[in-house]
Amino acid sequence: MKLLARGQWGPGAVALSLGLFLIVFLIIPVGQVIYVAFQDPNSGALTLINFIDFFNTSLFRESFINSFYVASMSVVLASAFALPLAYFTTRFNFGGSVLIQTLGVIPLIMPPFVGAVAMLLLFGENGSINLLLGDWFGINIPFMQGLNGVILVESIHYFPFILINLSAALNNIDRAMEESAQNLGSSGARLFRRIVFPLAMPGYVAGASLVFLKVFDDLGTPLLLNINTMLAPQAYLRITSVGISDPMGYVISVILVAFSLLALWTSFLALRGKDYATVQKGGGGLMKRDLRPWEKAGCYAVVIFILLLVLSPHFGLAILSFGTVWSYSVLPDGFTLDHYFRVFSTSSQFITNTLLYAGLAATIDVVFGTAIAYVVWRTKLVGRQWLDFAAMGAVAIPGVVLGIGYLRTFYAFNVPVIDKPLASWWVIIVIALAIRRLPYALRACVAALQQVSIMLEEAAENLGAGKRRTVTRIVVPLMSGGIVAGFVTSFATASVELSATIMLVSAESDAPLAFGIYEFMQSASGRGPGAALGIIAVLIVGIATYVSHRFIERRESERTPVAAATAGV
Amino acid sequence: MTSPAIKNTSGVTIEDLSLSFGSTQVLKGVNLEIKPGELFTFLGPSGSGKSTLLRAIAGFGPEPEGRILVGQDDVTRLPPWQRNVGMVFQSYALWPHMTVQKNVAFGLEERKVRPSDIRIRVDAALKLVGLLDLAERQPSQLSGGQQQRVALARTIVVEPRVLLLDEPLSNLDANLRVQMRREILELQRQLALTTIFVTHDQEEANTMSDRIAVLNDGIIQQVGTPLELYDRPANRFVAHFLGTANLIEGTIRKTRGKTVFTAPDGTAIPVEGAGLKSGQDCTAMFRPQSLEVLPRGRGTSKRTGELPGTVEHREFLGHLIRYAVRVGKHVMLVDETHQSGEAAYDAGDSVIVRLRKEQIQILQTQ
Repeated sequence: MKLLARGQWGPGAVALSLGLFLIVFLIIPVGQVIYVAFQDPNSGALTLINFIDFFNTSLFRESFINSFYVASMSVVLASAFALPLAYFTTRFNFGGSVLIQTLGVIPLIMPPFVGAVAMLLLFGENGSINLLLGDWFGINIPFMQGLNGVILVESIHYFPFILINLSAALNNIDRAMEESAQNLGSSGARLFRRIVFPLAMPGYVAGASLVFLKVFDDLGTPLLLNINTMLAPQAYLRITSVGISDPMGYVISVILVAFSLLALWTSFLALRGKDYATVQKGGGGLMKRDLRPWEKAGCYAVVIFILLLVLSPHFGLAILSFGTVWSYSVLPDGFTLDHYFRVFSTSSQFITNTLLYAGLAATIDVVFGTAIAYVVWRTKLVGRQWLDFAAMGAVAIPGVVLGIGYLRTFYAFNVPVIDKPLASWWVIIVIALAIRRLPYALRACVAALQQVSIMLEEAAENLGAGKRRTVTRIVVPLMSGGIVAGFVTSFATASVELSATIMLVSAESDAPLAFGIYEFMQSASGRGPGAALGIIAVLIVGIATYVSHRFIERRESERTPVAAATAGV
Repeated sequence: MTSPAIKNTSGVTIEDLSLSFGSTQVLKGVNLEIKPGELFTFLGPSGSGKSTLLRAIAGFGPEPEGRILVGQDDVTRLPPWQRNVGMVFQSYALWPHMTVQKNVAFGLEERKVRPSDIRIRVDAALKLVGLLDLAERQPSQLSGGQQQRVALARTIVVEPRVLLLDEPLSNLDANLRVQMRREILELQRQLALTTIFVTHDQEEANTMSDRIAVLNDGIIQQVGTPLELYDRPANRFVAHFLGTANLIEGTIRKTRGKTVFTAPDGTAIPVEGAGLKSGQDCTAMFRPQSLEVLPRGRGTSKRTGELPGTVEHREFLGHLIRYAVRVGKHVMLVDETHQSGEAAYDAGDSVIVRLRKEQIQILQTQ
């Protein structure tokens, strides 16, 4: 049997180079980390001794329990934010629905560590809210005390995962599902419990496990809130302070990966076979009903309360970036633009670096994403699924783990010409970002490719275009909406990524925004400029998202007649 | 459940029912009387309001004006779950998180039937639709026809007073559709359950219904048996919707005891005179199979309804040949049964179209 049929050499070569890239920059580094975790530091033999050491050390046991506790409680709190919002928007004719759906996603634009310091100033022991509570009621609520702070900041930032998944699940329930239950005599809470809730459950579980994964792996937030007794910070600290040969960092990495896989597996199980694609013609979505005036007031009160809370890191950050001195007071003493001037005059390399790194990483992602999508879905190459599988595998690899893997693997590798280890060259940051964001871009590209009818390709081939011409002239232009979406998702999230880059930045001149924010936020005097950088990051991400949204919308309205024509075939 | 007949089945009375979606009025003063045990069909094109009317009986959709009575009970203001009218949804709406058995048991559980009775009744209902051995399956593992039967079982197991079927056959392929049509009809007869059936397919309506209400634009156009509607349509819409029809506008002339329908182009057709006034504007309706095509050659006679014409084109439909014959300014469709070897007329042939007057239906021009 011939491995490659005629006309498959081109895709074959592309697939091979993609595979090679993934092996070198994902599989080998992660494999290294896992291998070292199971290796005796002295003899080099395979052993479980490192894990036994880990669980025999009280600091690590505590870190493990804390990480688990924080991730679980964040899911609980995030659910408390998401459930009412999802329920109101899908259930009632409610003017606030659009507001919720838009504002609810805003936290995702900014990674949690950026707003952490601002949250400290708003909700901390001597923060604005507690000062007010003290004045009015004489009480002080430990919102940000220890682990509470991490839980609050994380849940505020990641609750949209639950909101989006749960809303989608609720919206996908065919109205007839509910009507048929009513027709058979069911109503109210019973109907909700027996029909609506079980049908929405997979969406909720999928969202909740994502939140768990994100929180469990997060490094920046605990570091900035000065909580070191959690797994990710411990891994980071061991590697950066004890050294790259200390096995504990690797053990923690393996545990992080294991829990990430567990969370992803849970989400997969929740959704598997429960593809309740229950929407059929005749209109989807639950029955919406109008609210009575007092109900409406109640809904608005809850929604506004949650949205204020959710947006508080952004408000706090904005105030901080314009404030002079903000300490032991409800608001800063005065307002100024100095922080922005300082950032632009002394630290503009953070911004340019970020645009360069995130731009390169996102470009790599969509090029590779398109190529992988095409190879997997439109060719019959042997082993093509493994490419998809490997690229998606990056989802389960926390940034810290990838960072440690790169340090370990590429420190010994000297890049010729510049004569520096690859692990401390800025290009490695770009590659880390590209690998981390590849799964998201890939999914966007696959979705876009699946929208392109294979008949459109066949028509081009029938008219004499070869494979390469067909792909460049027909497939890629038709995928452009999805590719842009993938680019922006990668770009936006890469420009604020901290956990992998924090390990790989070797010189301040090479550092991106997220690292700059982290550095600034370490000192009290740096908070203002740090916040200004944070606001700039939010603006970059926000503008990118908005522009792509407009672009895709325009493309779609242009495309509609074609789509209708192909659908009619 | 030795005799499956449902005892408390009731008729449905609809009095002056109007209903709007926002500013669009979808039903405009509907009056209907559906008898107990009848299989009644709402027939109409999409957007005619037929599904809306059905859903209103079940209690879904915006609150209507007017009254809906099931038996003697006014249910207009009752929520869906208190009406006890069973509805089978177009999409079947089987709950994907429950097995077939659980789906069917749902309504009984809501009615707080004892668990031991639930088992018996669910089994009986599944047996009735021939799915007893699939009770433990998930809905997604069933074919379209099987899902349809589960939806039926789920609805009739609660012994509703009325059964509502919303385009139940539209999601099935052609062969299955004919089979399900028979099964539903058989089941309906067996249960003697008042059934209201919504469809846009006149063949489905004709083959299944005791009576049909034809709806268009939120108004009932005509109510009657399939034969009545076909032979004596009340207006152009019904005439067209139930089959191919020739429709010609004109005026009634009565001279010397003869009644003649005259079109503006001079085409004159003798008709039955009873109930018609001279000078009255009206539409003459006749089905293609009521006409004959004869070779030209003999003299034409207006008294016997023979009109000279020219064949414009013909379509061979297998069992018959459909001619379009130009008569004056009108094109009339004529169906001739086809026998093997029989010669056909060609386009351009001069012919005579013969029309018997008892086959002509005079419609009032609205």
